[in-house]
Amino acid sequence: MATVVVDPVTRIEGHLGINMETKDITTKTGTWTIVDKAYCLTNMFRGFEIILKGRDPRDAYFITPRICGVCHAVHAEAAMQALDHAYGVNPPPAAVLIRNIMFGAFYCYDHMIHTYLLVGPELGILAKYPPMVPPVLGKEGIAKLNLGSSYATCVEMQRIANEVVALWGGKAPFPVCEYPGGVTVKPTLDRIAGTIARMSKVWHFAANTMYKDILALREASKHVGEVVSSLLDINFRGFEDLGPAYPYKLSYGLFPDHENYDDWVALQNGERGRRKSAVIHAGAWDGDFKDFELSKIKEYVKYSKSADYSGGLHPSEGQTNPNPNKEGAYAWAKAPRYDDKPYEVGPFARMVNTFGLDWTFEATNPVTGESVKFEWKVMNPEGSVIDRVASRVAQTILFSTKVMEWTVELIQYLNDKIVHDKTNNFTYVPDNAEGYGLVEAPRGALLHYTNIKNRKIAKYQCIVPSTWNLGPRDDMDQPGPVEKALENTWLPKLTVPEVANALYEGWGDTLAGALVKLNPLYAKLNMEGEYNTTLPLAIVRSFDPCIACGVHIITK
Amino acid sequence: MKLTRRNFLKLVGALGASTFISTYKFELQEVFAQAGDYWHICWLEGADCAGCTISFAQAVEPDFISVLTEITVGTSGLPIALPDYHETIHPASGSLLEEMKKETWMKAGKKVLVIEGAVQNEGFCTVGGVDFREHVKEAAEVADAIVAVGQCATFGGIPSGSPNPSGAMGVSKFLKQVGINKPVINLPCCPAHPDHILLTLAAVMLGAMPELDKYGRPKVFFGKNMHDELCPYRPYYDRGIFKTTPGGEGCRFKMGCKGPVTWTDCALRKWNNHVSFCNETNVCLGCAEPGWPDKFSPFYKEVTGLPGIFGVSAEKLGEGLVGASIGISAIHLAKRLATKGRKKEEKEG
Repeated sequence: MATVVVDPVTRIEGHLGINMETKDITTKTGTWTIVDKAYCLTNMFRGFEIILKGRDPRDAYFITPRICGVCHAVHAEAAMQALDHAYGVNPPPAAVLIRNIMFGAFYCYDHMIHTYLLVGPELGILAKYPPMVPPVLGKEGIAKLNLGSSYATCVEMQRIANEVVALWGGKAPFPVCEYPGGVTVKPTLDRIAGTIARMSKVWHFAANTMYKDILALREASKHVGEVVSSLLDINFRGFEDLGPAYPYKLSYGLFPDHENYDDWVALQNGERGRRKSAVIHAGAWDGDFKDFELSKIKEYVKYSKSADYSGGLHPSEGQTNPNPNKEGAYAWAKAPRYDDKPYEVGPFARMVNTFGLDWTFEATNPVTGESVKFEWKVMNPEGSVIDRVASRVAQTILFSTKVMEWTVELIQYLNDKIVHDKTNNFTYVPDNAEGYGLVEAPRGALLHYTNIKNRKIAKYQCIVPSTWNLGPRDDMDQPGPVEKALENTWLPKLTVPEVANALYEGWGDTLAGALVKLNPLYAKLNMEGEYNTTLPLAIVRSFDPCIACGVHIITK
Repeated sequence: MKLTRRNFLKLVGALGASTFISTYKFELQEVFAQAGDYWHICWLEGADCAGCTISFAQAVEPDFISVLTEITVGTSGLPIALPDYHETIHPASGSLLEEMKKETWMKAGKKVLVIEGAVQNEGFCTVGGVDFREHVKEAAEVADAIVAVGQCATFGGIPSGSPNPSGAMGVSKFLKQVGINKPVINLPCCPAHPDHILLTLAAVMLGAMPELDKYGRPKVFFGKNMHDELCPYRPYYDRGIFKTTPGGEGCRFKMGCKGPVTWTDCALRKWNNHVSFCNETNVCLGCAEPGWPDKFSPFYKEVTGLPGIFGVSAEKLGEGLVGASIGISAIHLAKRLATKGRKKEEKEG
């Protein structure tokens, strides 16, 4: 047994290390090293919840987005929905549409940048699919070899999606246009026209390039499966056998119906339900659709660097104090559980909670009339690298379509109010109140809890997606979803070019040539000692970790 | 006008970032080609949120890809600005990334150190098993230029908000504490503006050190008061029309706009391909200034109502006693306060 450590894990947000204990398996073709147990080390702490205490409740909307600059708009959204809830004010339809438009554009940016800049490069290499390999040979490489063509276009497209966020929110990262019970930005025709024109481009990229790319990966996956299976003498189907976690998937739902906001608020009030009027449904999938219930969330701290308490605690009771020196603790993050089980959150969880295991839908660009039929049958119900990437592609297509539809719809509401009557000034703050924001961040379920006393924040709690996915073991010693997903992953004693050559003759040499030209050290890409960590890295990245989010902790 | 090292920043000031870069793209490439070597970049991230990296990726003309692929050294085909280290976007991970910093960046001819995120007390942030403070010290010792991007790296930002649970501070303060006496170019705002980052890196590579204000910010970007000199809503202020409801229109002053005490060119340059800035959809939060967020919050509170902004009471601010740094802004505030008082009197009378 050896211990293989990757620290820092790059192309994620934040500071993450992974620690893998290995074991050897022997087959007819040889002895191979695989991951036995994995531990996620979350490596940075800032203390947002402590900083928020005593401030104007509305300041949470400006401060919490800075938890993460990648998923900036979503902390803002969760903070604002917690405020709406605490104030007891539902945003009027025009405001819901404006929030959905801005938030939808944000989602497109986030899923695109993750697909190509963060998780894509390794998949491009393993699939010998040049459009997803970074453009290491520059414009010439893009033109002649298609090397990095999708990657480079994605940079342009994510920027265009963020322009839509800025049109409504002032700037991205960190838009500023929401207010309890509504928004502070008016629907204007220039914003509407600017949004539709831009989202039409994003739609085109998603429906054509992204869809084509994920199908190419699926095709290549079979070949990768065959080669690896025969080399190792195991049964490995391909990318769908990389990174399965548990069968449990949790979603809070996304994009409320502007004409049925009460259905959205019901979950915040603690009722059981699935928010079925929203574009993405809430739910606690365990192989079948199950209602979500807020009271079933608890956080455990046995292996977290925080003072012990027995059992799990609901976020409104969260009682954590940082304790960096606690014996046996290996992570800053806590271990949230739903119904005491480790649930995976994120785009895959959103898709199964909404569509089940068959994601088929048709999306029409309302501007051009073009249609695309997206079809994807889940390849591994426990989740996998390729299913998670496919879920982001599906949602970029779906959400870019929706943003255009909402924008067209908004024209009907041009002269409607954009904020609740109770908050149509900048002075009202409730004396004492509490509220939950339950939304989906691109990387999964996000909860904000605010408790207002004497018009100030008395307590603030966030339970963020990366805590669900990358949190440590719990009091029952169940590994977190990513820790689980890493188990049994192959750690080849071969370099990246050697693996590439084994998969496709000559491909590794081509890659090595391009990489070594940039820096000879790239010959050792992803190597930790004698072990190649490409597969664990692809698995970790498929969850789109955001460690700044995961480790924000803590109120006293 | 021909581009020279001497007039670089003057032209930048006159043209704005993207116009400048697109106008002088070929000249810039020529200058870089003559440089004959890369400017190696090490982009460290401490108590950060990667927002400045994402902001950098929003750059236009040239965009992110062009920067990394088009502006090359001579005929090598290799990018002039080569990041040897960058957690959020780098191809390499783990020990190789650390090795590339040590073997490539630290031994390179020309080294820029970019830092995103605050520096905290020991134990709050480790990268590759080493405390972030050590990473900064080690890199700053050898860097030829140090650029702090974003509010956290410049002045401590949100993590340094009261009660500052992790002892977060800006890079220049940290370097002084550990006895490293090197200039730091501060590019605040939350996040840093991609134009500011690109142009500063270009200036550094050209050897044209930007002129800095007393907070280490390039004057070319942070030399003007937003409220007095740049804000398009200023005419409303002068006519006494204020936005007081979320759907209303007017100057944002009464909602709590921090423009009067903020020096940045946001209103002029705007964000995300120049489509908007915070005041167009809500209020300026003052994120370009030291002391943010504490001295600027509650954010929905009028500047004059803040308890001791910059350590000065509202009355004194009104009386213009803050001195030259507040400048014209103070005079206008004084006027407004005077009017406010008069109105009250009228009412009472």
